[in-house]
Amino acid sequence: MKRQHCAAVEFRKERHLKIYLVPLAFLILLFFWCAFSFRNADAYDLAQGYTYLLFQIPMLNCILMPVMLAVIASRLCDMEIKGGTLKLLYTVQSKHGFYDWKYLHSFFYLLLFSIGEGLAIPFCGKIFGFTEALPAALLLRHVGILLLVGAVVLTVQHFLSLMSANQIIPLLVGLMGSFLGLFSMYFPPAAARLVLWGYFGAFLPFGMDWDKDTRILSFYQVPFPTTIFVLFLVFGILLYLFCRAVFLKKEV
Amino acid sequence: METVIQTTALTKQYHGKNVVTELDLSVPQGSIYGFLGPNGAGKSTTMKMILGLVWPTSGSVAVLGKTVNQKNRLDILKNTGSLIESPAYYGHLSGRENLSLICSLKQVPERQIDEMLQIVRLKDAANKKAGQYSLGMKQRLGLAAALLGHPKVLLLDEPTNGLDPEGIQEMRELICSLPKRYGMTVLVSSHLLSEIDLMATHVGIINRGSLIFQDELSVLHEHSRPRMRLVTTDNGEALRILKQAGLPAAAEQKSIYLNTGKPEVILRAGRLLYAADIGLLRLEEEQKSLEDIFLSLVGRSV
Repeated sequence: MKRQHCAAVEFRKERHLKIYLVPLAFLILLFFWCAFSFRNADAYDLAQGYTYLLFQIPMLNCILMPVMLAVIASRLCDMEIKGGTLKLLYTVQSKHGFYDWKYLHSFFYLLLFSIGEGLAIPFCGKIFGFTEALPAALLLRHVGILLLVGAVVLTVQHFLSLMSANQIIPLLVGLMGSFLGLFSMYFPPAAARLVLWGYFGAFLPFGMDWDKDTRILSFYQVPFPTTIFVLFLVFGILLYLFCRAVFLKKEV
Repeated sequence: METVIQTTALTKQYHGKNVVTELDLSVPQGSIYGFLGPNGAGKSTTMKMILGLVWPTSGSVAVLGKTVNQKNRLDILKNTGSLIESPAYYGHLSGRENLSLICSLKQVPERQIDEMLQIVRLKDAANKKAGQYSLGMKQRLGLAAALLGHPKVLLLDEPTNGLDPEGIQEMRELICSLPKRYGMTVLVSSHLLSEIDLMATHVGIINRGSLIFQDELSVLHEHSRPRMRLVTTDNGEALRILKQAGLPAAAEQKSIYLNTGKPEVILRAGRLLYAADIGLLRLEEEQKSLEDIFLSLVGRSV
């Protein structure tokens, strides 16, 4: 089958399921969190509004993204498992084609969410009247990191959802990932790097200083951890290939 | 007659144990091939291997004259339709949407959908969600999906499972009509001999992974020809006389069997025994039912 045809088929499969509501709901949640954070913002807060968001949102992503990705992957894969469609699909489509296109379909929603988040940040700036100039390059980096880490977490969720007859397992893994990701921020850096879901917060562009006496919060820019990024990228690719190889071995 | 499906020494092992052993299946073109065997005999595994859903441990499969491998599998399978184990469907989509999706996947025109819905008598429920269908309706939807694109070969694994008697009859009539209507070759599996007997032109019997019979159904029927059971005052001497006269006689337990039902042979046997002063105590006709033949072939109850 041709590429555009494979993609179209995946969209036709999810008709009536309204999967787009999942990333949309998480985006709304994110927006409300931003609105809550800036409800009493003063001039000082508004002067570092974008910096604050680019520091805080990745941490929020640690909590939200694993659950969101688990729900998306589960919704998209469960229809195949429940309907026993693999026996039929594999007679008209290659196994790896099915696996890859299904993954790309889930990735499409991750992309939508990432773009949405990327747009929500300047939107918040406008709404709340940030006086800080929009750091466009850092915003792009933020979206890119969200996509990359999201794609690796999606690899796990996609694999588990396709391998499990009962979707409760991948959903539990997503929920557990959410907690682990959050708590990993309090782990020593070496231990935190072992927690996949914590990587949403591993590439923060800023560090934070909190002065107890003056009660002033200030941020400082941190260099991009290129080595960790490259290692994570390689790990993500290897993980995808491994998961795919295991799935392809599974007989229907 | 050309062979549409040919397996050669097809073997599948799971955990070192043979599930299918050296299977040489031969499905002639235009036939309805009844693949018969008890539950767990290896029917579904064999059908999955034909479709390339499961890869054989050894042996090969040829469909429409081409040996199936990883590269050409999908090209060859374009000419096949299948319904394996249970019907595949998307529960949140209507029957029509399901078929439309299959049309996209098989790349066949959607105008066939109405025809197929008509054939499987699902037209009235076409816009109902497939998840709300009864098992019989799902099965018919699965068959409609398999028929889309008018494939040359149709593989149906226990297609009457879960159907009510009326549904079974409908399905049977439909399957029987396919070779004439579309020139299809149908490989249909079942664990019920009676079902195969009513549908098939050819039959293959599999038991514990091995093919123990394969031929036209009429040949299987020939096994059920009548034979005569004789009990005499001296079975040993009677057998000797009958054999000496060239009659098809054999001893079995405490009886002699004449493996024929021809009146002239029976008459001749009676005369020979009378001439030798051997008293005939019993003369009975025995006819093996297909069920008996099947049981004697598989050697266990089904």
